[in-house]
Amino acid sequence: MNISCNDRDRIFEDGTPAEWAALESHAATCAQCAEELRAWKSLSAVASELRDYSDRPALWPRIQRSLAQQTERGTHRWNLRRLLPHFSISWQTAAASAFALLLLLSGAWLLGPPRKDPAQSPLLRNQALTDVEHAESAYVQAIDKLAAQAKPQLQNPGTTLTASYREKLLLLDSAIDDLRAQTGLNPSNAHLRYQLLAMYQEKQRTLEEILEEKR
Amino acid sequence: MGITGLALTWETRIPPVAQRERRVEPFREQVGTQAPAVDASHREDFELAAACRSGDLRAYERLYLLHGARMKNLARNILGSSADAEDAVQETFLKVQRGIASFRGQSSFVTWSFRILVNTCYDARRSRLRKKEVASEDDQPETAPRREPRAPVAHPSLRLALETALAKLTRHQRDVFLLYEVEGFRHAEISGMLEITEAASKNTLFQAKKNLRQMLEPPRAHDAAGAR
Repeated sequence: MNISCNDRDRIFEDGTPAEWAALESHAATCAQCAEELRAWKSLSAVASELRDYSDRPALWPRIQRSLAQQTERGTHRWNLRRLLPHFSISWQTAAASAFALLLLLSGAWLLGPPRKDPAQSPLLRNQALTDVEHAESAYVQAIDKLAAQAKPQLQNPGTTLTASYREKLLLLDSAIDDLRAQTGLNPSNAHLRYQLLAMYQEKQRTLEEILEEKR
Repeated sequence: MGITGLALTWETRIPPVAQRERRVEPFREQVGTQAPAVDASHREDFELAAACRSGDLRAYERLYLLHGARMKNLARNILGSSADAEDAVQETFLKVQRGIASFRGQSSFVTWSFRILVNTCYDARRSRLRKKEVASEDDQPETAPRREPRAPVAHPSLRLALETALAKLTRHQRDVFLLYEVEGFRHAEISGMLEITEAASKNTLFQAKKNLRQMLEPPRAHDAAGAR
């Protein structure tokens, strides 16, 4: 086999035994290849400096102990991997499907519409609403009585202050009408009810001040 | 450290090429003479895997007796410390025991065990690096890579130079060099351990040796003359 210096690296990387022999022959007549070949082989030789196979007797007993401990732990633990091979693939598939279905149903139950709280049943809520509406109606009637008393004064305001009270009452009535319209659409909204109550209280105070002024 | 500082002349520091015990060098390999030995090796490997799978601790002891020294040596060359190497070997045996049920025999049992060892060593290296980073964040004095005393060898300075040069190689180059040149595995076995092709293993070894030679060889005569 004829080889040249150009084949050297290829043979170093992946040469056949015959090619190595040919390289050795070539190196006998080529100083550069002889040097490269010697250096290449020397690297293999120098690697032996990194071999230290001295044994430390304590290592195996230590490993053995840890293996035994792991075995012991393993027998006390439910090992799915060991269990599964005892079931056929169809049973494993069925079990996986059942588990997936269970997950799906659980998800649907959790993410579905909110369940009714027994403490806030519609009956009780409707009863509470009825109570509020009754109280509100009574409050409105009481304020209407005050308004009736203040009506003559408001129709003929003698002072600038009374005229201002009348303007204020007009604004309050307008706001009350708006809020009543909104509570009509959403009767259970407690926030609207509180706002409405605040408007009625303000109207009551204003009427009382007008009547006070008259005295 | 400068590369030239490590250089020793090849003539003075390189001992004669030793006869390999486990692997025949390509230029000495004789095709067809190793088949019975390979068959016996495969059978032993299969039996060892089966015994380990059955949970027989004596099988693990056999694995240790056959390959424990090489495992520890490889781990020490990757990690630089005997204590860390022993921890890595122990961890490898535990991982082998945990994972033996999933071993399907795509590669040999020994190859599979060494793959676990190499990965365990690099996990340990990463963990050590993280600890070092945390320590330096806490303004602790930086811990130098630990190189513990080892069994006396013929050329301690040569070993130190080689260790330093190996540390500068890429991970794959270092692994292939250690597995092939130091531990005596074949490229077919290394390809299974590092999950690369046999051709890649050969090429990586070639690159590793080329780089090591550049790092270890003394300046050439004409280079020195040019420097003057």
